[in-house]
Amino acid sequence: MARFKKNSARRSHAIGKPGTALNKKPTVVDDLTGDKIPKSFVFTRGKLPGSVKQLKMDLRKLMLPHTALKLKEKKRNNMKDFLNISGPMGVSHFLILSKGDGTPSLQVARTPQGPTLSFKISEYSLAADVAKSQLHPRCPQDLFKNPPLIVLSGFGTGEQHLKLTTIMFQNIFPSIDINTVKLSSCQRIVLLNYDKETKLIDFRHYSIRLQPVGVSRRVRKFVQNHQVPDLSNLHDVSDFITRAGYGSESEADEEASMVDLTSDLNRINRASNKSAIKLQEIGPRMTLQLTKIEEGLCSGGVIYSEYVSGVKKQEQKPGEESLV
Amino acid sequence: MADTHVISVSNTIPTPADLTKSVRKKKLKRVSNEQKMEKRMKSIPRYQGSSKKLADDKKAKRLIRKRTREYNSDEEEEGDAKKTKSESNKKHGGFVEEEFQADDDDDDDDDFEEESDEDEDGVERTKEVTKFVEGCRAFKTAFQKIMKKNQPSDALGPVLSAHKKLLIEKLAEEVEELKGKREVKKERHLVGEKGHVLPANFLNSKDKFLSSIATKGVVKLFNAVNKAQHAQKGLNPNKAKDAKTLAKRKKDAFLSELRKPTTNTNDGLFKSSKNDEKNKDEPAWDPLKDSYMLTNPKLKDWDKKDSSLAYESYKTPLESSDEEEEE
Repeated sequence: MARFKKNSARRSHAIGKPGTALNKKPTVVDDLTGDKIPKSFVFTRGKLPGSVKQLKMDLRKLMLPHTALKLKEKKRNNMKDFLNISGPMGVSHFLILSKGDGTPSLQVARTPQGPTLSFKISEYSLAADVAKSQLHPRCPQDLFKNPPLIVLSGFGTGEQHLKLTTIMFQNIFPSIDINTVKLSSCQRIVLLNYDKETKLIDFRHYSIRLQPVGVSRRVRKFVQNHQVPDLSNLHDVSDFITRAGYGSESEADEEASMVDLTSDLNRINRASNKSAIKLQEIGPRMTLQLTKIEEGLCSGGVIYSEYVSGVKKQEQKPGEESLV
Repeated sequence: MADTHVISVSNTIPTPADLTKSVRKKKLKRVSNEQKMEKRMKSIPRYQGSSKKLADDKKAKRLIRKRTREYNSDEEEEGDAKKTKSESNKKHGGFVEEEFQADDDDDDDDDFEEESDEDEDGVERTKEVTKFVEGCRAFKTAFQKIMKKNQPSDALGPVLSAHKKLLIEKLAEEVEELKGKREVKKERHLVGEKGHVLPANFLNSKDKFLSSIATKGVVKLFNAVNKAQHAQKGLNPNKAKDAKTLAKRKKDAFLSELRKPTTNTNDGLFKSSKNDEKNKDEPAWDPLKDSYMLTNPKLKDWDKKDSSLAYESYKTPLESSDEEEEE
């Protein structure tokens, strides 16, 4: 059985009668939209090197808040254990990291009945690696308190397996209602970009930051930091405002990322002025290759296989026509 | 010093050929002498022999004591002892002198033995003593050899050569083993790290492109959210009248959004699954509005019809293609 770290909420699930636990369903349904909130387990299968284990932790963080961050898996845990516990917990998705022949692989599955998408992780970078590569890595406190948005791009080639992938990933994260959503809760974004030529999917994870536009960098920093500015090299106080700072290189890009706010987002980004959207990568980074789609949960008939795709398609086409 | 000794010795030392001859002779002589002695001992009454022997023993004992003192004494004292020994040398035919000679130079060992044999021949009584000296001399030479070796740089310290070799071999083996293990570990680590890439410190074109896509997506969503929330800004959803208008607006906005043709500047980048299914004439679809996505009954059914989804997803394109044909 998958073991949880003792925390009161989990314990109440475990100790209380199963009926009551099921009746409560505290967070299964979103109170605002009424939609079912997808929940996920991220776990590994088999013995894995340290970096892949770290990747698992990064993925769990990415899937927050509707995931088991401290899920403990043991060697003897099999898929059935996870499946058994997923029912009462309302877990709808499994993200399974395993290691095939050398390269690690990621399986994204819907519980309890599938389908399962298998990806080969041809390249990956951990969140720590990404943070290390940045001059000023950013991680505000409540970054992981809300689920990320998801952007899927380039999946519109009309191929069936891609469509399935799109639907799968869209449903992994809770949907948002644009009429009620608070923009301040949109802090992260997950990007999946499909490259037609290489047939690889780029997986990125960014943090969203809003910056007021039309204000000099100095003033912005002053407002943000609440610190006494250094005026030692200025002749007059007014110079602090009037003296032009260095123009940002990305000013041209800002045009495209400008946003009008209807309500005040926070102290700095008011509804009255325009804001620019700045993204900063927080990792992990992955390059995925779709290898297989199975009907069931890591089992069942193969719907799509990368290696026999040509044959498979030819086989399936006539069948489909007969259906219609 | 040593050179002069060697020279002096070499003067006295006979050529090897002569030596071998002399040794044979001596051996023969010695055997005959011993036989004679035995005969004599048998013939002569015991007490006489014993008294003679006692005198001899005393001398021998003294000598032994002296030797032991020499043996036990340190090297520094040996210098002083040398003087006294030089006197005794005369008595014993350069016996001790040779011994020192041997200590200084190992090559003289053989010569010395020969000479000592000669001495034995001459002074038969000190036979046992010389044997004792011979025995301790071997040990002494070995010990001194070790002590002379002054190798502070040696990690192993002053160890007997054979043992040293063994140790070195063992250590080398260990080092090699460690190396092998390390290599295996490294290899395993490399295999484990397969696919792990450290990102570059700068933004390359691909990353820039990806982040721009993401930015566009976020901008779209934010604009949509603002548009939707701006419309209902003045209305209170708790009032029945306002709630009605709100619901109507929602519906209208939703439908208008549906019927809006694709005016994406970045077409091709942002195409949701729905967008691809339908034609360009069909209503456009914002990929980011996840709620819109889920209002599609087909997508909502996803949760319920898990098992049949696979087939359904294959059916959908054909439907859409049918639609195309119809239109």
